[in-house]
Amino acid sequence: MTKISAKNVNVFYGSKQALFDVSLDIMDKEVTALIGPSGCGKSTFLRCLNRMNDVIDICKVEGSIKMDELELNSRKLDVVRLRENVGMVFQKPNPFPKTIYENVSYGPTIHGMAQSKSELDQIVEMSLKKAALWEEVKDRLDEIGTGLSGGQQQRLCIARAISVSPEVILMDEPCSALDPIATAQIEELIDDLKKEHTIVIVTHSMSQAARVSQKTGFFHLGKLIEFGDTEKIFKNPDNQQTQDYITGRFG
Amino acid sequence: MNLVLISLILLLGFSSYYFGRKKATIIQSSQRLTALPKFYGYYLAIWCAAPALIIFSLWSVFEPTIVKNFILADYLDQNLTKNELQLIYTKVKALALGTYTGDINNFLDNSAGKYIQIKNMANNAKIVIVLAALILSLSYAYQSIKKNNRMREPVEIFLKWVLFTASLAAVLVTIGIVFSLLFEAIRFFQSVRIFDFIFGTHWYPAKTFVRDGQPDPELMKDAFGAVPLFAGTFFIAFIAMCVAIPVGLLSGIYLAEYATRKVRKYAKPIIEILAGIPTVVYGFFAALTVGPFVKEIGNSLGLEVSSESALAAGAVMGVMIIPFISSLSDDVISAVPQNLRDGSYAMGATKSETIKKVIFPAALPGIVGSILLAVSRAVGETMIVVMASGLAANLTANPLESTSTITAQIVVILIGDQQFGDPKTQAAFALGISLFVVTLFLNVIALTVVKKYREKYE
Repeated sequence: MTKISAKNVNVFYGSKQALFDVSLDIMDKEVTALIGPSGCGKSTFLRCLNRMNDVIDICKVEGSIKMDELELNSRKLDVVRLRENVGMVFQKPNPFPKTIYENVSYGPTIHGMAQSKSELDQIVEMSLKKAALWEEVKDRLDEIGTGLSGGQQQRLCIARAISVSPEVILMDEPCSALDPIATAQIEELIDDLKKEHTIVIVTHSMSQAARVSQKTGFFHLGKLIEFGDTEKIFKNPDNQQTQDYITGRFG
Repeated sequence: MNLVLISLILLLGFSSYYFGRKKATIIQSSQRLTALPKFYGYYLAIWCAAPALIIFSLWSVFEPTIVKNFILADYLDQNLTKNELQLIYTKVKALALGTYTGDINNFLDNSAGKYIQIKNMANNAKIVIVLAALILSLSYAYQSIKKNNRMREPVEIFLKWVLFTASLAAVLVTIGIVFSLLFEAIRFFQSVRIFDFIFGTHWYPAKTFVRDGQPDPELMKDAFGAVPLFAGTFFIAFIAMCVAIPVGLLSGIYLAEYATRKVRKYAKPIIEILAGIPTVVYGFFAALTVGPFVKEIGNSLGLEVSSESALAAGAVMGVMIIPFISSLSDDVISAVPQNLRDGSYAMGATKSETIKKVIFPAALPGIVGSILLAVSRAVGETMIVVMASGLAANLTANPLESTSTITAQIVVILIGDQQFGDPKTQAAFALGISLFVVTLFLNVIALTVVKKYREKYE
């Protein structure tokens, strides 16, 4: 089932065009990986899906992005509702300078999802468990989130993102600042999360895309060159550029 | 003469730089250099100018004292006091320079002749010694360059010492000021009981008019009670902060988070212009415009308002402080990493939620710091109070009455005729050191608060 359907998306930063006519469908409860060399527009596309491009003044998005029949690229869209439904994990772990508990309870609090303290406690515990962090931090929930290790911080950010039970989770190179062990933990986590969430992940690591994703899209110079099943893209791509990129001949 | 000497030293220094560099390129043709050619230049220039300049300045500092001792040696057997000796020396100097107009006696005339003689000798000796030092050190440095010794380290060490001297000078000046305040304050407390000063509620220094000798502490009892001044200082600072903190903080948040780039580009400099207005201008603005306005409004409400009120002074002082808080908090809020904002927006938080829950707490140490800085500025402000809040040290908590502050009273004490031994004059030092202690205390609190929050948020 299609969760998100993008049609002819063009993105401009001022007069510079960053995305050219990108059309792709993201399937529900699947991991979709976006790969490509730096500056190819994959992060820009990702940020269209939760309207994070709004933060940048000069950014302009054209085209249609539909999520379950809801037009995302519309001025009338309630961005707060959208972001409640589409969570995001960033490249650099960015926990708030608050306690671990406050980090996870942040979303449920601002969206008024918990009626009582015990309900909130429950959400926090569940989110931390889902993010495979509960065992490591359950005795120090009132410590500052920024005091954790890099990998723990990133899992804390994932817990924060899933605390509001979003349907879609966007991940922008979530492992690029982490060591191999932390990376493996996050990848394992992604595998678990896709049972309940649709995941779109931008990554520089070809092997990561191959390991975690079901669909892969290859971007180059703002264009979507090829999009399809991960296995096909990595074993038998239609396009020569894709072939060259995944075999490491350029990019 | 001195100017010529300094110019000569500097000129030689500059030319030795080029000479040293040139020499380095010559050495380069036969052997490997130990550093870049410019270091050879610096090395030679430093050795040329630095020792000569150091000797020159030491000489200039000590010469007057030595000359004075030589001259006054003739008068020592006359059993004169220190002040009388000083007077004689001033006369001798004036005579030697030809600007003396009083009676001339033989003794003075002799001394003046001696003075001119010694002065000439000293001058010549200075030139010879300084130039000798220059030549010696220059030739030493030149030998060192010729041997192609290591050049980089001495230059770097020299720079380190220059920087050290600069910071040492700043520290010494601070210590000097503190001690001079302290000593004069101690002398003040010899004639006024410290208890009467700190807890006394009457400030009326004009009451004491002492010509000579130690005044009686009992007389001073009611004259130097500083409580009204401390109260007035904090009262006016409080009124000022009531104006400055809300306006400054909110405008800082607006500038940092809401204003478009264009608005910010124009608004920020305009707000900062407020900080550039001289306090005297604020002062007469407070005295001539705000004061009467407050009085008029108060009168129309049936309140008794004096034309010089704490409210007028405090409000204007608050306006003066707005740019400090606004500009500083704008800076610290802008310095909060963008990825924290992104993290919050991505959770679906609105702008105001993000500011309240993420950005403001993260920026709090800086904001607290800027507020405390503003408070110490308010406590130290003088001109506005002198002009707008009057000079009568009333002990009052009514913002519509006139009151006075520590700084304003220092002004009152020190304008017009003063005598240094007078407790009235020394009171200025006691007030000065109290003010210093208060500001120091505020700064220490500010630093501790900032440090505590920083630990929490890093």
